[in-house]
Amino acid sequence: MGSPKRVLVIDNGSYECRVGWNNTKEPALRFRNVLTKPRKDRKKEAIPDTTDGAPTPVAAEVPAEIQVGNDITNIEAVRAHLKSPFERNIITNWNHQEQIFDYIFTKMGFEGEQSIANPIVLTEALANPNFCRQNMSELLFECYGIPAVSYGIDALYSWEHYQNRRKKVSDALIISFGYSTTHVIPVLNGKLQLQHVRRLNVGGYHIITYLLCLMQMKYPVHLNAISISRMEKLVHEHCHIAVDYREELLKWGQIDYYEEHIMKIQLPYNPVTATNALLTAEQKLEKRRELAMRLLEIKNRREGEKLLEDEQQLFVYNKLRQLYEQDKLQKFELALAQQQIGNLDELDSLISTISNRIKRIKERPLSSPKPSKQQEKIDKMPKAPEGVSQADWLAELQSKREQLLQRKQTRQQQRQEQGKRHTHAAQERMRIISTLARSEKRRKANGEEEDDGFGMNDNDWDVYKRINRYNDDSDSDADNEQLLEFEKILSHYDVNFDDGNAVQTQSAAENYQLHFGVEDIRVPEILFQPSMIGSPEAGLAELIAFVLKLFTAQEQQRMVEHVYLTGGCAQFRGLKERLAREFLEMRPFQSKFSIYESDDHTLSAWLGACVQAGQPNFGQTLTTRKDYQEHGSEYFREHRASNLFYPTPKD
Amino acid sequence: MERNQKLPVDRPTYFTLNAPPSLVPAKKYSDISGLPAPYMDPHTKLRFANAEEYASMQHMPSDIINRYLSVRGYTSAV
Repeated sequence: MGSPKRVLVIDNGSYECRVGWNNTKEPALRFRNVLTKPRKDRKKEAIPDTTDGAPTPVAAEVPAEIQVGNDITNIEAVRAHLKSPFERNIITNWNHQEQIFDYIFTKMGFEGEQSIANPIVLTEALANPNFCRQNMSELLFECYGIPAVSYGIDALYSWEHYQNRRKKVSDALIISFGYSTTHVIPVLNGKLQLQHVRRLNVGGYHIITYLLCLMQMKYPVHLNAISISRMEKLVHEHCHIAVDYREELLKWGQIDYYEEHIMKIQLPYNPVTATNALLTAEQKLEKRRELAMRLLEIKNRREGEKLLEDEQQLFVYNKLRQLYEQDKLQKFELALAQQQIGNLDELDSLISTISNRIKRIKERPLSSPKPSKQQEKIDKMPKAPEGVSQADWLAELQSKREQLLQRKQTRQQQRQEQGKRHTHAAQERMRIISTLARSEKRRKANGEEEDDGFGMNDNDWDVYKRINRYNDDSDSDADNEQLLEFEKILSHYDVNFDDGNAVQTQSAAENYQLHFGVEDIRVPEILFQPSMIGSPEAGLAELIAFVLKLFTAQEQQRMVEHVYLTGGCAQFRGLKERLAREFLEMRPFQSKFSIYESDDHTLSAWLGACVQAGQPNFGQTLTTRKDYQEHGSEYFREHRASNLFYPTPKD
Repeated sequence: MERNQKLPVDRPTYFTLNAPPSLVPAKKYSDISGLPAPYMDPHTKLRFANAEEYASMQHMPSDIINRYLSVRGYTSAV
């Protein structure tokens, strides 16, 4: 590497990819590491709109089949078709990775060049399997023809960046919070202790999906409105990590605290439909009447047009008829052919039908709107019987209705109880069934008709109703009908009638609100208690203790003096305080520890990689094309921020 | 597979990096509210913190119950 070339730095994270030149202050390109392929049939209309945002004219000329990262205009619409090259934190889908590289190189101005002349710094996962690195090297060297590549670990690059800004530190415990994984990385004497690194397979992705699940189950009605994008926003902006989870939980359990701190999120809703629902019955009626008038108008207009047409037609036919009567046969024949009429009889019949039609329309009185059905319905409404005041009658109805409701409720309860074994109701049912069966048996055994009198009384048959597990028999049907009837009458006469199960008088907007309360601490807590999402892995605090125990007491002390937090999920409020608490619990009494945070959780890895690319010995960290050809595709050069190279054992 | 067996035991790979299983007993939280849950409904196996939650569980459709259970990673012994 004689002449220092610009280095392309790619922080290839599973959530977001950051790309830029090493001599710039911040990445030129940041995008979600996903791609989608729009469906063929929609593409024709969709393409002109979607490529509007693309700055390169090339993208506009050749309709991009595949949309990557920021080109995806509406990520929620294609959520089901989103593809990522990642599986957890390692790359497994090479087709997609190639498409993403195409996108990166196009955007960075390599369009149309045969090969890429600049060296590349690329981040990868901790202990990235050799197979994956091999594929990556092959892709970069063979497909894109790059001169050299340097693989590094994002968390270590971030640590480099931190040291570069402050002072060199030889020992540290780095905790890297990623999108799909969380790593605890011990560094001793400036060297990565790869064999003692541990990975918790919980990350931002799990937090977001957990919140999605919780919200969708809490509000099954708004299933579709609760989208991943919205949940991401909630997690990014409002979730925090509780310093004392149990204590904060118990606070949420108190109703006063809940009322005070609950956050209500308004989902978009259509106010037009909402006002429709709020219209009073009168307004609705008015609207309906208007609509009927308009329809009538349209019908009248159409009839008028038809009438005019018919009259013209009749005029023509009458002329023809006159021709015939005036014995102008030749002309008549010609005209008939012109009108496509066979002979005289046909003409006559046509004339008669048309004139009939005209007569019919004219005879009809200018249509007056019929009394609306609503009016009829009201007429049909039963009225209070003679001699009883309406109020009394309504009160009676009301009490009857209550009785019915009660009966319904008891029946339902009975059914529920019968559904479970060991309840009194279920046992009673079994007893009745067995007595019924026994009496039947006895009759059979005797061989003679021994009538026990069952069925003489109509009420005897009720026993079957009682043992019927599903009580929706004729009785409850009749009850339901009666109930409906009562409710109709009551709601007609009584303005204040509220049938209980109607939606309470609440604005429609409030129905579209999500209550976001305990979730703000509950969701990120899965980092510390993965058992909440059914993962058997140790939580973060337990994991840190586990990793520390792999070292001697002195080494532990050296490391905990520089606990360094980095990665996107480190942005949660309260994380540092929580970890301080956990360290206090796990470290020996009166021992020291200190926790540092990266300056920019999401960008520091990229910046650190830039720092390293600018150093004089950067050339030694590069795996060059020559190395690739000489040592095979899985080889890479180790450096301060890289994985360790362990060749795959030979057969 | 055979090649993997030739790997030295102490060599770190992607899979040796996995976090160890937790040794502390998992804390029990209500499936519905997330509050500490001292109770469990023997019928649905859902955990709950208080009587109101229990009442709300009574008319919960079974698919939601199952989803709550699967989120928590509960699998029935059957």
